[in-house]
Amino acid sequence: MAAITPADHGHGHDSALHHQFEDIGQQNDSYIVGMWVFLSTEVMFFGALFFIYTLYRWNYQLDFYIAHEHLDVKLGAINTTVLLFSSFTMVMAVQSAQLKKRMFVIGYLAVTLVCAFIFLTIKYFEYSSKLADHLYPGAGFATDGHAAFGEHAMEAGKLAVNMNHAQLFYSLYFGMTGLHAVHIIAGILVILALIRLWFNKAKSVTLDYVPTEMVGLYWHFVDLVWIFLFPLFYLMPKPH
Amino acid sequence: MASNSSHSHEHHIVSTGTYFLTLLALVGLMILTVWIAGFNLPSIGPFSGTVVNQVVALVIAVAKALLVITIFMGVRWSSTLAKLWVASGFVTLILLFGILGDYTTRHYEHQRGWEARPDGALPRSTPDEEVIPPANANDLNVKIRQ
Repeated sequence: MAAITPADHGHGHDSALHHQFEDIGQQNDSYIVGMWVFLSTEVMFFGALFFIYTLYRWNYQLDFYIAHEHLDVKLGAINTTVLLFSSFTMVMAVQSAQLKKRMFVIGYLAVTLVCAFIFLTIKYFEYSSKLADHLYPGAGFATDGHAAFGEHAMEAGKLAVNMNHAQLFYSLYFGMTGLHAVHIIAGILVILALIRLWFNKAKSVTLDYVPTEMVGLYWHFVDLVWIFLFPLFYLMPKPH
Repeated sequence: MASNSSHSHEHHIVSTGTYFLTLLALVGLMILTVWIAGFNLPSIGPFSGTVVNQVVALVIAVAKALLVITIFMGVRWSSTLAKLWVASGFVTLILLFGILGDYTTRHYEHQRGWEARPDGALPRSTPDEEVIPPANANDLNVKIRQ
């Protein structure tokens, strides 16, 4: 072994340093770069959906505006706050990992997890109200347009919103917030696994903070997507 | 361990205060964007009030995103290589949105009927009286087919 090892890095089995890296700094940089490569693909993944949104919003401004009025700004704002707060608790978990305060890491991760569940619960109620009004894409879409879209959608006694375009809006709404919710669920699973590792004092996470930081980066990215979904779906300006 | 480049061994520990102030700023911007959305902002130059409203909402969203990326995701304290990768995803996104230029460059189109901006739902060959050839077609070297 000694013959093929170029230098003794001075680490035994208790070191977080893996043999292919020169030092922990290089290893940590590699981990962070790798995580950002993954997040770049995620930016492109969601980016394509944001592009589709932009294209149809550009074409069907008024119909999208009327269709969006069924969304509840209050619930959207609460969910935004919950996610922003969970990003804060996540970053505090990473800071605790740097300071090797194990119980604080577990505590902050647990709070992050609770926030994720609150977000999904609110989303569940939002989706339920859309389903109750038949606002999901398909043959039975908004069979009672007046009930679904209210007085704004009526003009001289008849429905003033193009149902195909309204349906497009809800396809994008469910597609984009749904994909985001899938990312939240994936985040919950990863955070659960991380809590388990910290709870068991696993050396893979306790010796160095970067594995915790990588989960943090993913969680902040999920927050980042919502920062754009919120104004684009809930705060659409009235065409004027 | 202490022999080489000790600077890369240390990681930057950000204070709780910085993180908490960032959270306050983020929540503040969130409240600001909801508050502004309640107004119909006036038009500015060629841009309608709707566009102004939307641009303001997106500028606030970008400000929030920058706070999350630089401080919560710690890119401010990351290596140059990591910063390059952070930029790569967003640069690709900007290139993708460049495709929207199709909507503003249609008057350069040489094919009759294609000068109008695409409205998405109709096939290209749909006869449409509202397709108006540009007034200064010949200035653009467009050959109108008879």
